[in-house]
Amino acid sequence: MSGATWEVAESCVDSLNMELVATYYKRLHPTKPELAARRIEAIGYQVGLQLAERYTRDRPRFSDHLESIKFICKDFWAEVFKKQVDNLKTNHKGVFVLQDNRFRWLTRISVDALPLAGAQNESAVAANAVRASQAAGQYLYFPCGLIRGALTNLGVPCGVSAEVTTLPACAFVVRIKV
Amino acid sequence: MIVCVAVVGHNNHPLYLQSFISESNILKFHHIVHCSLDVIEEKVSNSKQAGINISESFLGLLYPTEEYKVYGYMTNTMIKFVLVTTDRDLRDADVRNLFRRLHAAYVDAASNPFHVPGKKITSSVFVERVGNMVKSFGAGASV
Repeated sequence: MSGATWEVAESCVDSLNMELVATYYKRLHPTKPELAARRIEAIGYQVGLQLAERYTRDRPRFSDHLESIKFICKDFWAEVFKKQVDNLKTNHKGVFVLQDNRFRWLTRISVDALPLAGAQNESAVAANAVRASQAAGQYLYFPCGLIRGALTNLGVPCGVSAEVTTLPACAFVVRIKV
Repeated sequence: MIVCVAVVGHNNHPLYLQSFISESNILKFHHIVHCSLDVIEEKVSNSKQAGINISESFLGLLYPTEEYKVYGYMTNTMIKFVLVTTDRDLRDADVRNLFRRLHAAYVDAASNPFHVPGKKITSSVFVERVGNMVKSFGAGASV
């Protein structure tokens, strides 16, 4: 029983994500989107804690914060999202940016792009970015909580926020709390 | 013979402590486990000077008292497992194996959605698995 691996269809994860956001934003807290966002992030936090326990089981201990972040970018991301983070940037002062060019949970979201007329190119691109972040923003609270929970359990207290400019690419900004 | 198994959380709160002899004075084991926490911290923070590889999870024999030997193991998430035993000569490999299985059982218990991280482990499945592990460990060593 302890050696068996169980498989679940990925569409279940997609459906669960969509229903999580829909329930919290429309049914439970229709007038308070910030509260819904905090609740979803808290769920992600607990799941991240438990997943970090499971995925660090047979690995040697991490020596510093950078090792923990690299673990998140490579192994943790590969287990949860089936790929690794595409780009990791840091300002060496405790801020890390994890860039994923094709975030798995955003691939099913579509936004009608405004037509890019010649003269208004820049404003149309900016407007598209705003629409993309509005559409995807609600779905990114759970992954932010996931990352925060995993890092906190590894001894890296932090805050995580997400930015999305063009779907399905998104960036997670991790700010380590000293 | 293993007399006590303990799981201590990252903030040094006991998450699980079980004694396997009919000793009514379980406070003695609490005391032993508490003292061993200091030894664990010292080992982990001094590992660079002592030359021990910091990335090892198994910390080995912590300290022998007159009757007991105490072994320690620390995971990546700062969870510590402490094993108290009266055996005189235990193979290192056996103890490492036992800690690995303990870790697996703990991970399964922690993944329970009803388990609050930081509170005591109340899963009866975990208690049963630990009991089986200790029983089979004793049988293997006596052969």
